[in-house]
Amino acid sequence: MNRIAENIVKFKWLIIIIVLSLTIFLGFQISNLRINADIISSLPDDEPVAKLYKDIGTEFGGNDMGLIVLETKDVFKPEVIIHIKQITDSIRYTQGVSTVTSLTNILDVKSSEDGIEIGKLIDENNLPDNQMVLDSLKKYIFSKEMYKGSIVSEDATSTAILFTLLPDGDNQAIAKEIKDKIVKMNLPGTLYFGGLPMMMNDFNDLIISDMVWLVPIVFIVIMLILLASFKSFRGAFLPLLTAALSVVWTLGIMSFAGYDLTIISNIIPVILLAVGSAYTIHVLNSINHIVLQDRKQALINALTYITIPIILAALTTAIGFISFVFGSYLTMIRDFGIFTAVGTLIALLLSLFFVPALISALSMYNKKETTDKEEKNAFLTQKILMPLAKTLFKHPKYTISVWTIFLLLCIIGIFQIKTSVNLTDYFKKDNPTRVAEDVMQKKFGGSLPVFVAFKGDMQSPEVLQMMIKTEHFMKEDPNITITQSVAGLIEEMNDAMGEGKKIPDDKAKIEQLWFLLDGQDMMPQLANDDLTKGIIQSKFASADNKDMEAFADKMNGFIIENQNENYHIELTGMPSVYVKLSNSLINSQYSSLLIAIIMVVLIVGLILRSASKGIIAAIPVIATIIILFGFMGITGISLDIATVLVASIALGIGIDYSIHVITGFNYYLKENGDAEKSIEQVILRSGKSVVINVVSVSAGFLILLFSQLVPLQNFGLLVAISMFGSGFGALTLLPAILILVNRKRKITAKNH
Amino acid sequence: MKTTFKTLALALLIGAGNVFSANAQDATSILKKMDDVMYSSKDMTGKNKIILIDKNGKQESREATMQQKGTDKRMFRFTSPASQAGIAVLSLPNDLMYLYLPAFGKERRIATSAKNQNFAGTDFSYDDMESVLFSVKYTPKFVKTEANAFILELKPNASSDYSKVIVNINKENYYPEVMQYFDKAGNKVKEAKYTFKKIGKYWNAEEVEMTDLKKNHKTKMQMSDVKYDSGLTDDDFTVRKLKQ
Repeated sequence: MNRIAENIVKFKWLIIIIVLSLTIFLGFQISNLRINADIISSLPDDEPVAKLYKDIGTEFGGNDMGLIVLETKDVFKPEVIIHIKQITDSIRYTQGVSTVTSLTNILDVKSSEDGIEIGKLIDENNLPDNQMVLDSLKKYIFSKEMYKGSIVSEDATSTAILFTLLPDGDNQAIAKEIKDKIVKMNLPGTLYFGGLPMMMNDFNDLIISDMVWLVPIVFIVIMLILLASFKSFRGAFLPLLTAALSVVWTLGIMSFAGYDLTIISNIIPVILLAVGSAYTIHVLNSINHIVLQDRKQALINALTYITIPIILAALTTAIGFISFVFGSYLTMIRDFGIFTAVGTLIALLLSLFFVPALISALSMYNKKETTDKEEKNAFLTQKILMPLAKTLFKHPKYTISVWTIFLLLCIIGIFQIKTSVNLTDYFKKDNPTRVAEDVMQKKFGGSLPVFVAFKGDMQSPEVLQMMIKTEHFMKEDPNITITQSVAGLIEEMNDAMGEGKKIPDDKAKIEQLWFLLDGQDMMPQLANDDLTKGIIQSKFASADNKDMEAFADKMNGFIIENQNENYHIELTGMPSVYVKLSNSLINSQYSSLLIAIIMVVLIVGLILRSASKGIIAAIPVIATIIILFGFMGITGISLDIATVLVASIALGIGIDYSIHVITGFNYYLKENGDAEKSIEQVILRSGKSVVINVVSVSAGFLILLFSQLVPLQNFGLLVAISMFGSGFGALTLLPAILILVNRKRKITAKNH
Repeated sequence: MKTTFKTLALALLIGAGNVFSANAQDATSILKKMDDVMYSSKDMTGKNKIILIDKNGKQESREATMQQKGTDKRMFRFTSPASQAGIAVLSLPNDLMYLYLPAFGKERRIATSAKNQNFAGTDFSYDDMESVLFSVKYTPKFVKTEANAFILELKPNASSDYSKVIVNINKENYYPEVMQYFDKAGNKVKEAKYTFKKIGKYWNAEEVEMTDLKKNHKTKMQMSDVKYDSGLTDDDFTVRKLKQ
């Protein structure tokens, strides 16, 4: 260890040059970093429901659908009709738009005794301008099932304009262009923008605004805290420098490796600023404590003392992040785990090599050596740590009892935890996208797509009849109002041929009715070219987990019952994906937490060469995790794609405090042989860096409360709580346990 | 009659040694000449092959026999693929169509006012297929003369999905070579390429290739076995005939 430290000082300039050039190289890479707000693309390819959903999105264009709702007092007014046409035209003439359907251009097929009349519901070149015509139009629309609740809301106050985008386009950019153009029209009434392309575009904007606003604030807050606690420029500058460099490196590596920034990985900078600064703080703290005339030697000694604990600290934190790789359903969570771990290790390397090299090269040694006496007089030591140590020695059992009662209360809370996977919940309540989704749910049967995919001969009467049967079954669910399929169209056409609204039994008839449908805009959305696959499209009105699960269960039961050799039925759609996602959140919470705990105990135990110390070190963080889940259960913060990360992160970061306390305890015990004195010393010395670290890390994460995304707000709050929990645990629960274990050992030793 | 005379006079003048330069020809008369070339025969019969080509180059084809009388009566009868054989469409004036599906053994009257819909899965809309004279449907404006063609800009007279159509008309024979269709935002949305061949005394559109630029989808309509003026009567364009 000593030799490495010496070499660091010896090759300081080389280290500095390497770091600088890597920073420049990776810094340039960041400019290529793309933002990908698309959650669909993060669904796993090896899971059937998610894969089918993605495939259908590609094959039938379902993911490229947008929806605009115009809400006024009454849709059936001449001026409103004009506005609908203006919106329709502006979408139609946007590059990248495939189709647009609205009240002013929808096809109307009437069949009567004499034949079929194909026309437009409204002649867009001759819009109705008199109220009588509009009143009869209203009557006609509400008499037809296909319009009511799909193009005009049942209360006639809102109308929907649907559009689909061409594949291979930049959906978000097109969605944004459409939205901007329509907002600029400044139409009276309220406009709502929905559908995945719109939502993704909003997510995209929120990610950028979070990055632009939150990262600098976190930076400043941590800097102020460090300035206040170290009272030196070096003490604030170096930790932030390493953290900032690790952010640059990590983002640069992400971009270089071809990964995108997602709604989860956009918090990597915040996490690295908070976490990455800690290692340098410990290095500096250690340097500050060693008072030697030979500054070079002091640096080497300090490094020797601190290397093991910070390697341990970084390793355990990285394990906390890596644990997401194994249990996560969404690839973006896995990627987040990998790159945050990478960033943590970068911060470690920089703290160990670059910081000492920089100090040595630029002679940034502390001007004013703090003496033990000064230290003792400091506020933190005097008012908090000393009384704390005294109390602990007086009442170790009370301390543990108080903790136990508190934890029991939290365990009750754990059973109240809910999961939340609905994307709209990720927006704040007043966010326009969330409001829009609510309106669409209320007035147009929601915007959660449901697909039932059929494989088989799409022109066979049997398959089409099964499709109709499935649609009827789906509609029994209160959350399904409209279904659309090629089978439905064939029924309509058969009716138009005067043979009733049913699927003909003769395949030849179906083939010829198909001829009539060929080339219609909606056909590629319902059946493939080879006629081997077709889908039922529908929308689910509830975003409630229970409703979605009940629907998925019911449907899957129906499918199993009706499957046969002539066709294959599969269910997918957002409700099914959400159900999977929700289950996977809980599973991945278990597995990542379990992996993290085992790995942490193992590594800590291995390095400290004591299994019991490994377990003891884990106690405060396990307590913290219980507090965390208890808090989530009691306050109603649900487990979602961001909060699922907290426990393992809390474990990875929180264990650091215990490690510092335990290694410090070992160090002093070796020095003076007196356990109680060692504990007191460790509370005073490590206590200071733990407190500073808890405050600065929590402050960094609490900034996420200003995030635009609800899961990130909750994430910030929960990590901060966990930091307090594990810091407080490491300074009270852990010493109390150490004191008791030690007293017990003394007593047994005496008895023998 | 008057028009014919004027056209004849103009043709004579040009033939007489280009007294007028091509530029001086007025756009309306150029367009009328194009109409004359395209709709000069009394009737026509022939085989029609429709080839659909999607954006991946995948082809699908259909065949039909076609009969046409004047500009506004037309009968299409599909002969292949087998599943569509026998399906027949009779188009009559005033947007009236009759459809016959042999599997049902009956016809239905289809009145379509939605002319921007595509015809039977092709890239031709009902509007494009309509055999109304161009000079009736559009008001032309002369744009320029190129080596072999006059370029006209046509503005629709009645409501249409197009804002304008730019047509290249062959200088010598007055058949259209290329038509470019623009939507109301001024984007070029479709393009038709014509290949004409003289059969007897008439110019025949041997192939029309229509490309939907948005969907990147193409339709080729090829004519073969064309016969002109074989004496079709209105009786050949009745519902009774449709069902045969």
